[in-house]
Amino acid sequence: MIEPVPSGAEANDRGEPSLELRHLHRFFGRLKAVDDVSFKAWPGQVMGFIGPNGAGKTTSMRVMATLDTPTAGDAFVCGYSVVDDPDKVRRYLGFMPDSFGKYANMNVVEYLDFYARAYGLKDAERRDAIEHVLVFTELRKLADKSIDSLSKGMSQRLGLGRCLIHDPQVMILDEPAAGLDPRARVELRELIRLLATEMNKTVLISSHILTELGEICDSAAIIEAGQILAYGTIDEIQRQQPSVDTDSTGRRALHVRLASVDNLEAATSSLEKWLLEQPMVKDVQCSIGHAMFDIEGDDHEQRQLLQNLMAVGHPIIEFHGKTQSLEDAFMNITKGITQ
Amino acid sequence: MSSGEKFFHLTDYVTDRLNPILVKETRQALKSRQFIITFMLLLTVAWLISVFGTIWYGPAIEYGSAGRAFFVAYYYVIGFATMFVIPFGSFRSMLNERDQNTYELLSISTLSPRQIVTGKLLSSLVQVFIYYSAIAPFIAFTSLLQGFDLAMVTLFLVAGLVWSSFVSMIALMLSTLSSNRQWQAINTIGMIGLLLWQMSSAFAISAAAFSESIPFEKEEFWWMIGTMLLTISSYFLLAQQIAVSRLTFESDNRSSSIRVICTLQFWLLWGGVWAYSFRYGAAFVDEETIWGCAIVSSIHWFIVGMFVSTEPGHISRRVRRSIAKFGVFRFIVAPWFPGGSRGLLLLTIHLIVLTTIARIGVWPRVHDIVTVMALYVFIYVAIGTAIGRLGQAMSPEFRPAHARVLTILIGALAMIAPYLPAAFGFTRWSNTYTLDEVANPGRTLTIIGRAARSAGSPDQWQADVILTTLWGIATVAFLINLRAMFTGVTEVRDWKPIAAHDSSVSEQVGADPAAT
Repeated sequence: MIEPVPSGAEANDRGEPSLELRHLHRFFGRLKAVDDVSFKAWPGQVMGFIGPNGAGKTTSMRVMATLDTPTAGDAFVCGYSVVDDPDKVRRYLGFMPDSFGKYANMNVVEYLDFYARAYGLKDAERRDAIEHVLVFTELRKLADKSIDSLSKGMSQRLGLGRCLIHDPQVMILDEPAAGLDPRARVELRELIRLLATEMNKTVLISSHILTELGEICDSAAIIEAGQILAYGTIDEIQRQQPSVDTDSTGRRALHVRLASVDNLEAATSSLEKWLLEQPMVKDVQCSIGHAMFDIEGDDHEQRQLLQNLMAVGHPIIEFHGKTQSLEDAFMNITKGITQ
Repeated sequence: MSSGEKFFHLTDYVTDRLNPILVKETRQALKSRQFIITFMLLLTVAWLISVFGTIWYGPAIEYGSAGRAFFVAYYYVIGFATMFVIPFGSFRSMLNERDQNTYELLSISTLSPRQIVTGKLLSSLVQVFIYYSAIAPFIAFTSLLQGFDLAMVTLFLVAGLVWSSFVSMIALMLSTLSSNRQWQAINTIGMIGLLLWQMSSAFAISAAAFSESIPFEKEEFWWMIGTMLLTISSYFLLAQQIAVSRLTFESDNRSSSIRVICTLQFWLLWGGVWAYSFRYGAAFVDEETIWGCAIVSSIHWFIVGMFVSTEPGHISRRVRRSIAKFGVFRFIVAPWFPGGSRGLLLLTIHLIVLTTIARIGVWPRVHDIVTVMALYVFIYVAIGTAIGRLGQAMSPEFRPAHARVLTILIGALAMIAPYLPAAFGFTRWSNTYTLDEVANPGRTLTIIGRAARSAGSPDQWQADVILTTLWGIATVAFLINLRAMFTGVTEVRDWKPIAAHDSSVSEQVGADPAAT
């Protein structure tokens, strides 16, 4: 398991974490839905909470959101315990569940107005908060529209707006992009990124779309069968996996792309022929302008191969190993255990 | 600033100071189809009554007692809206929060459970006022007719308002009892039945009251009104507290307020008896009254006892922090803190009070009857406490409801067991009371009552044997629970606040099996 960040020095730089889980346990009878989970998140951080179905993500999030109590351990939001001070936690926390209900006979403004009142906002403060949320989520034009008739994407924006209405320091978003079309996903991703960068909020987000999480998260916790398997920055998680580009047989996968020359087909064919003659090169697969192959060896052999390719005069414009994505890291770390 | 803007700001200012749930519910309710249909229906029916009633009476409307008849008809129309439609709307309102997944978002806002319950109740009251205002012109019309009695009309309208609030509160409480959808469906059917029953009962009582003149000048009438108001208020508070407790966060104290209200109800009942006898002299309080109050008290403590004495004993860190610093005070209030053994102690104290009241009173013939009732309540509840404690120690999945059901099953089995040999033909049926029927309170109390009525009769000897047996069983039940009750009190007396980071995982898991 990857050791938790940050080191002592880093922790001092960042100050107190705004979200912390400390040996959190949640059992349902014999089922250990959450089993000794600990991690921290700081202001301005977007943290991915990743795991297969039934891993314990939603249960942990519900405990953090004060919807459930831990069997043991605790969670802290801005220093307040979810067990001891749930009322205070609620002031600093915005939670967006994977599916949230809408009231009948209510429009967008009335919906936001109700939650602003529910969080104790009064007079100008309430009106300003609603206006700010309408602008941020770009729901201004739909202000008078009945919430029953909103599209899924707009509903998710409204849900995000509801979370933001009392300007919480910590936001917990459970599968916010589920069911959204690509455009709505990109737009939501931008909004979430802004929450951390512009508003310095701590965002904990769970999603199954790992490519997207990789793009917006700066750290992640990977959970399976109720236990944290990896936790740290995205770079740390990727770096600490078994060699990024060398497989178990000692081979590393490489990719070469050729420049758009006049006779690209002939250039590809020439490259393929040359590669097949090299003793350390295996499993060559070529398509026009591209070649993928494995080499047996380390950095020295890889450098030598590149030098030789250039020396022979192949029109190469890209030469790189296969990079490991968050998805690859997830597949390496998790074992597919279900409870 | 224009007058329109001034009005908008004033409205905003006022609504900001109101309960947010009230604002939301009123907004929703006034736009809802149910409200519009009910409102239109009410106006239409009231209008039809006015038109056809006037035609029916003809010229007699000038000199008969048509005013009262018209009011009765309008009262039934408004009664349907305030005693059925509005309480059912309150019931559905809370269920809809769960059905539409909006309750969780509400519960993580900074609104307290009490604000949520109160907001929903106030919203139903606003609707009552709207319906009243709709019917007001029709009632004003009746005031022009003969037979209109302003005092009677005021009394019935106020009574309707009070009753509607009470029934709405009960409906709200029932809607919080189950989050399971199947149970909710059953609850809904039960709720409709209950509302129809209470509405028809209220109509029947009203019909009887309409046919007689109301004795406003008699003191007994105001005693009756006061007693009814106090009873309704106490059960209103109890229902409200149960609803609030059901919505309260798990780590918070869900039990103490309910215990306090139940205790107050007991004292209110006997305080009322004392106040009445103080006003008119003890001779005016007859044995039947004391007997009735003792039965009510016993049933009250049996029901309360079955709930409070089967609670899990663990108290969360949050509740521990709320305990007073002084050891003596802690010792006194311990029975009102959550936990089954402390619940049994609360029950024991009040049963002792009940039997003492019967002993020191001037009604010698009810002494033994009250003692026997108290012993039965104690024995059955103590069995429930022991079962609850044992079950929770054996399995974390054992719930207080399991303990209650098991206790009732054991009680039922003990009651029918003596009759099984005769039922299967091994012995002959006999109407003679034998000691193996001691588990049956109905049969036993008949013997005790007979002995109390005829001092020196042969029944007296049997009554003494029964009393001795019951005292023996109660002593055993007490001894089984004594250690737990002692621990329950000393736990409260000796508690120290625990910081979140000081409580180890094993401590919490071990101490709170019910939390799983």
